[in-house]
Amino acid sequence: MQTNPAQLMLKRLVGFAGVMFVLSAMIFILARIVPGDPARIALGPSATQQQVEEMRLEMGLDAPLWQQYADYVWRGVQGDFGKSLISGRQVSDEIAALLPATLELVIVTVLLIIAVSIPLGVMTARYRNSWIDNAGRFFSIVGVTMPSFLFAILLQLIAANFLSDWPVLGRVNYSLDLPDGPTGLLLVDSVVHGDWQVFRSALQHLIFPSMALAMAGIGQITRITRSAMIEHQRRDHVLTLKSFGVPDRVIVFRYLLKLSSIAPLTIMGLEFASLIGNAFVVELVFSWGGFASYGLESILQKDLNAVMAVVLVSGFFFVVANLVIDIVLMVIDPRLRFKEAN
Amino acid sequence: MTSLLDIQNLNVSFRNYGLRSNVLKDVGLKIPEGGRVALIGETGSGKSVTSKTILGTLPDNAVVESGTIRFDGEDVLTLSQGKREAMKGTAFSIIMQDPLSSFNPVFRIGRHLDDVLRFSDRRLGERSNSADRRRRIEQVLRQVQLSDAERVFDAYPSQLSGGMRQRVLIALALLHQPRLLIADEPGTALDVTTQDEIMKLINRLVSDNGLSLLMITHNLGVVRKMADDIYVMRHGEIVEHGPLKTIFRTPQQAYTKALIAAIPPLYGPGVEDQEAVEAEPIISLSDVSKSFDEKLLFGRGHSHLAVKDVSLSVSKGEIFGLAGESGSGKTTVARMIMGLIRPTRGAIAVDGDAVGEKGGGPDFRKLIQIVYQNPGTSLNPKRTVGQTLSVPLRFAGLKAGAVEKRIHELLAHVELQPHYISKYPHELSGGQKQRVAIARALAADPKIIVLDEPTSALDVSVQKNVIDLLQKLRDELGLTFLFISHDLSLMRNFCSHIAIMLRGEVVEAGEPRQVFADPQHPYTRALIAAVPVMSDEEDRLKPKTSIEERRRYLADTAV
Repeated sequence: MQTNPAQLMLKRLVGFAGVMFVLSAMIFILARIVPGDPARIALGPSATQQQVEEMRLEMGLDAPLWQQYADYVWRGVQGDFGKSLISGRQVSDEIAALLPATLELVIVTVLLIIAVSIPLGVMTARYRNSWIDNAGRFFSIVGVTMPSFLFAILLQLIAANFLSDWPVLGRVNYSLDLPDGPTGLLLVDSVVHGDWQVFRSALQHLIFPSMALAMAGIGQITRITRSAMIEHQRRDHVLTLKSFGVPDRVIVFRYLLKLSSIAPLTIMGLEFASLIGNAFVVELVFSWGGFASYGLESILQKDLNAVMAVVLVSGFFFVVANLVIDIVLMVIDPRLRFKEAN
Repeated sequence: MTSLLDIQNLNVSFRNYGLRSNVLKDVGLKIPEGGRVALIGETGSGKSVTSKTILGTLPDNAVVESGTIRFDGEDVLTLSQGKREAMKGTAFSIIMQDPLSSFNPVFRIGRHLDDVLRFSDRRLGERSNSADRRRRIEQVLRQVQLSDAERVFDAYPSQLSGGMRQRVLIALALLHQPRLLIADEPGTALDVTTQDEIMKLINRLVSDNGLSLLMITHNLGVVRKMADDIYVMRHGEIVEHGPLKTIFRTPQQAYTKALIAAIPPLYGPGVEDQEAVEAEPIISLSDVSKSFDEKLLFGRGHSHLAVKDVSLSVSKGEIFGLAGESGSGKTTVARMIMGLIRPTRGAIAVDGDAVGEKGGGPDFRKLIQIVYQNPGTSLNPKRTVGQTLSVPLRFAGLKAGAVEKRIHELLAHVELQPHYISKYPHELSGGQKQRVAIARALAADPKIIVLDEPTSALDVSVQKNVIDLLQKLRDELGLTFLFISHDLSLMRNFCSHIAIMLRGEVVEAGEPRQVFADPQHPYTRALIAAVPVMSDEEDRLKPKTSIEERRRYLADTAV
C-alpha cells in the first residue's frame, strides 16, 4: 500500500494554511495587547481626543475584537494590510516596493550557503581530523558564534580600507539607469534587459551583505553535512560498494552526497527564519533599503499595521521556503514519496 | 588438492586511541578449489575481520601485522593497490549480511548493480555500454530467481522485501562470475523460511557454477547444509578445524562442544518437554481483531487488517509461545494484551479484568511487563544500571532506601553482581544487558512478562544462559510468560503451549509435543521444515511439505 505524492503535497498545503492562520492570530493579539493606541500613534501627540476618536472609528477599532480579526484576515487574504500609521500610505504598496531587494539578498545568500557549505562539509568529512577538517571546523564555529552584524561591520571596514573600489552601501550604483521590471530582482531584470552594467554593479553590491548574512548558515550547514557524511560512511551500503571496488570518489560524491544532503536541506528550511531575522540588521548596516530594514523601522516607530504585515509576509516566505524544500526532499528521497502504510 | 585460498599465520590488529589490540592471531585457513568451508564463531570472534582482510575492506585503523593470503598461488597482501582493487567482485565476491541496510536508500537497485558492473568492467579493461550492462544484470537477476528482473532493476530498495533484497545482494556478488564466494551470515536477518530458500539458492549457484564458498556464520544448522569443512574461531584464533562430520560428531575443544550443546534440538532424545499447565486463565482473548487505518486527508484511506479473529487463553504459570514470521501480527497481539493499543473488535481480559477499562493505569502496569528484543537499544546508554532500574521502582512509589534495597534484590534475581549497579550499558555484554532488561521488567513485581524475541540478538551460548535464567525466575516467582519468537527450535524446548500465526490469524495451537510431532496446518509444516537442524535424524523427523504448499504460504518461495 503506498501513499500518493500528490496526497502528501496536499497535506503539506493544508498544514501551510494552518500555520498562516495561527501566525495571523498571534500577531493580531500581540498588536492589540501592546500598549499604545494605533489611532493615537497615527495622529501624533498634538491631535485632540476628538480627532483620535474619529480616527478609531475610521480604522474600525470600535468593532468587537473577533470582528476586527475576521475583517483583518479577510482583507489580508486580498493583500490589504491597511495604511501605515506613520506614512499613511498602503502598507502593501510600501512592502511591494521593498520586498524584491530583500528577496534578492536572501536568495543569493541561500545559494552562497549551499555553494560553500556542502563542499566544505564533504571535504571536512572526507579528510576527517586532518588540517582541512580542523580549519573547516574552526571556520564553522566562528560562523555560528559571531553575530552577523559584526561580520557586516567587519566586512565594511575591510572593504573600506583595502578594497576601495568595492561598494559597501546600497543595492546598486543608483546613477545607472535601472531596468524596469518584470521581477524587481535586479540580477534577473538586468539579464532580461541585457543590461550587463547594472548586473555587474548589482552583483558587486551583493557580495558583502550576502557574505555577512551567509556566515551563520554556512557554519551550521557545514557541520551538519559533515556529521551526516561521517554517519553514513559507516553504513553497510558503503561497505557493499567498497567490497566490489566501486571507486571512492563515486561513493563519496554520488552515493554519500545525495544521502547526506537530506539533513542539511531540512535544516536549511529552518535556517530561513534566522536568515530573515539577521537580514533586519544586515540591511541596516549596508543601507540596503529592503523589506527587513522597513520592518525594523516599523517596530521602532510602533507602526503596528506595518509590523503585522512584515511578520505575516516573512512568515509566508518561511513557509513557502519550507514547502519548496519538502518538494526537493521528496525528489531526493523515494522513501518520502512512497510512504509505506504503517 | 590445490587450495584456491590459503591463509597462513595471519595477524591483524586494530589501533584505537593509541591502544593496539590483536584481533586475528595466527589465523590459518584453506579453501580448496570448489570446496565449501564454514568459519563459525560468536560475535566478536574475528570472523568478519577475516573476510574483510581477504577482500581488502578493513577499516583505516586496522593493520595487517604479518601473514599471507594466497589466492590461486599469489599473495594478495603484496599486490599493488590497482591489482588488488581489480580482484574485488571478479576473483572473489562477498554476499553481504543484512539485506535491509546494504543498499543506499535514495538510489535505485539498478544504479547499485550498474555501478558495480561498470567499474569492474573498466578495471578489467572491457568496454561496455549501459544497454549491454542492463541486459547482463537482468540475466543475473533471473539467475537468482528474481523473475521480474525489470521491475527489480527500477525499484528503490524500500520497495523490495527482505528476501528479494537478499537475492539482489547475491546477484551483486555474481555479476562477474567470481571464483570464490564469501557469504557473511546470509539470510540471518530474514525469516526462517526465506533463509531456507536463500541457502538452497546459494548452494545451487555454487554447484552449478563450480564456485568455492567461504561461509561465515554462527548458525550451526546452516553450516550443516552448506559446508564440507569447518573452522571454529574464538577470540581471533582458529581453535579447531576439520571436516564437518568429524567436528559435529567428535568435537575436540570444550568451546566447540559448548557451541554444539547450546543449540536447542528440534526433535530427538535431547528435546525437553515443558509440562502442560492446568490452571485458570490469566490472559484471554476472544475474537480479537485489529486493523490499522492509513490516515488520509480526503477520501477513504486503506485499512490493513493486522490481526484477525484471534482467540487464545494463557493459563497462570504457563510459558505461552506465539510463533510466526515478520508481519504475522504476533507483536500486535502482544501490544494489545499490554494495553498499548486497543483492539478494533473483540475482548481481551488480563487477570480477570477487561484490558480496555484499566489499560495504562499504574495497577495494570504492575501486572504486566515486557522485555524487548534488542537490549542494546532498549536500555538508555546514558543511564547506569542502577538509574535504569530505579525508574519503575520510583514510579511504584518506593522511597530512596527501599529502591536501593530492591535493586540489589533484582540484580541477585538475574544473577548479576551488586557492583553492576554503577555500570553503563556499553560496559556490559549482550547477555548482561538482557539480564538488566529482565531485571527492569521484574522491578514492578509483575505477574506476567511479555518476552519479545528476548534472545534473537544474542549468541547461542548466551541464549542458553538467558533461557535458563528465565525458567528459574518463572519457578521462583510464579510468573507467566508470553514468549514471542520465530525461533521454533527454541520454542519447542521452552514453551508449554504454542500458537502459530500466519497473516494475522492463529492457524494452529497446542502443546509443542503435539504440534511438532503432527502439525496439521500446511504452513506449520512448511515453517518447521525450514528450521535448520543439527542432524540427519532430526531432518528425517521433520514434517514433509510439497512445493505447492510452500508456494501457497511463503512469500519468498521462488517460482
